[in-house]
Amino acid sequence: MIEAYFIHLLIIIGIYIILATSLNLALGYTGLLNLGHIAFFGIGAYVSTLLSVNTSLPFLLIFILAGFVASIFGYLLMLATNKLRGDYLALATLGFNFVIYSLFLNWTSLTRGPLGIPGIPKPSIFGFVFQSNLSYLIFVAVIAFLVVGFLHLLLKSSYGKLLEAVRDNELACKVLGKNTFKMKWQAMAVSAFFAGIAGSLYAHYITFIDPSSFSLYEIILILTIVLVGGLATLKGSIAATVIILLIPEVLRFFALPSSILGPARQIIYALLLILILMYRPRGLFGKVDLG
Amino acid sequence: MIVTQLLINGIIAGSIYALVAVGFSLIYATNRFVHFAHGGFVTVSAYLIYTFFSLWGLNFYVSALLTIIVAGFLGWLVYKLVYTPLKKRKASNAVLLIASVGLLILLENLMLLIFGADVKSLGYIKIKKGIEILGGIITPLQIVIVVLVVVLLLILWFFMKKTRLGKTMRAVADNPNLSNIIGINAKRICYLSFIIGTALAGIAGILVALEQNIEPIMGTGLMIKGFTGAIIGGVTSVPGSVLGSYLLGLVENFGIWFLPSGYKDAIAFVLLFIFLLFKPTGILGLRGKYKEQKV
Repeated sequence: MIEAYFIHLLIIIGIYIILATSLNLALGYTGLLNLGHIAFFGIGAYVSTLLSVNTSLPFLLIFILAGFVASIFGYLLMLATNKLRGDYLALATLGFNFVIYSLFLNWTSLTRGPLGIPGIPKPSIFGFVFQSNLSYLIFVAVIAFLVVGFLHLLLKSSYGKLLEAVRDNELACKVLGKNTFKMKWQAMAVSAFFAGIAGSLYAHYITFIDPSSFSLYEIILILTIVLVGGLATLKGSIAATVIILLIPEVLRFFALPSSILGPARQIIYALLLILILMYRPRGLFGKVDLG
Repeated sequence: MIVTQLLINGIIAGSIYALVAVGFSLIYATNRFVHFAHGGFVTVSAYLIYTFFSLWGLNFYVSALLTIIVAGFLGWLVYKLVYTPLKKRKASNAVLLIASVGLLILLENLMLLIFGADVKSLGYIKIKKGIEILGGIITPLQIVIVVLVVVLLLILWFFMKKTRLGKTMRAVADNPNLSNIIGINAKRICYLSFIIGTALAGIAGILVALEQNIEPIMGTGLMIKGFTGAIIGGVTSVPGSVLGSYLLGLVENFGIWFLPSGYKDAIAFVLLFIFLLFKPTGILGLRGKYKEQKV
């Protein structure tokens, strides 16, 4: 029993590590104030769900497609908001999130709206079905390891340094002849791709999705994780994911009813977010300030 | 007549949005940061009047007055506890925006924790049969709300144009550094406009509570609308945000001619998107250069 609980927690942590590190690529390393990351997560979840429920494509292809569709949206979002800076960019991306959310909610012929889509099959790769949670955990862990490894190599490379240069001084990069818009949309597309596959992992694990998993509340959680961990640090994002997701688990020991547990979790996250901005704006290992 | 009905619905919606928008825009004009938690104060105020009137059984007008006062006080408290320290640290606008989103979630969930998820209603005015005007139907309560909002907006306009405090606020909104030089205490004005803005959120909360059910998540939706209205009208201009809000109310309601009503929020955001991209200063907003200055 307690084992099953830990495996569940670890799977969720694995999925959120992918989400947090990919958001940090856009928000921390490239300096794009993206508050719409959860929309990519949702797009990935819905694309993966709809394809696996309605078609018989192999899971690996669906998995890649989930990330790919999300990254197209990432590119389009960057294309649309290229001129915006600072809080205006934050608002536009937040708006993007609301638009996607209301599409999930209202495009009922496709998404079944608030009823959600049940019965999402567990993934199978080359005939092996990830039926038990333990096997799913291993799958998530491998993907998370690959994502973090890829991001680590990317950000250590000269390309990664260029992304940071775009964040620190875009004009100077332009003067040096770099196409900063291209770098920004590439960073956003990669970030969205990983959020998309995280969404796919989430959907096939829970086997049910509805729009409420991709609401404003989820943005707060993921922002809190990235800001607590600190901007432009993968190590920080990973540590913060573990810490932030474990904190509300403490509440479980008090045997609170779920009507209190839900709001209490959100209150903890919101308070943490505000306090970290006020007292430790660079988080655990952050290297740069926000905005 | 469906056109009159949609027109009436648009005006009613626009009136509520306008009330949310002017408070938000008053705060933005002087403080220059996006106070998303403004919608949270609308929610809190709706629950305040519910507590005073329905739970404690106070007289309605006393309850309303108390709600406005407490809302203003809470605004002051939040400004002092959260925003002032952040501003002292010279936090960027993006940080203040994210902090305010955090505050919005905090306020909503506090209400959820205290009052539970089930909807409450004030039940002060019984819903009467609507009156028919040119084929459209409007209830007496809705007429009262629209008239009240228009009167309030006129008072606010008079306050901003004619009184000394209003003029000072506009001066700070226009040029904080210059107003500091000529001896205006810009910080005090920022505080004051925040308190007045939040008190306006209090009034909006009361009116919304009169007409709709009270629920913890109501503030986010209203905030999106009020805020969109403010941006498309020109966020630094109070009359602009009123104009924008009515425009939004109408566009939304005529929009559901073509789309299911669930898309209302999406319509608002698409409109917001278009304005952010092509005319970020809005219809009546100030132009350029002001963004660098901070109090």
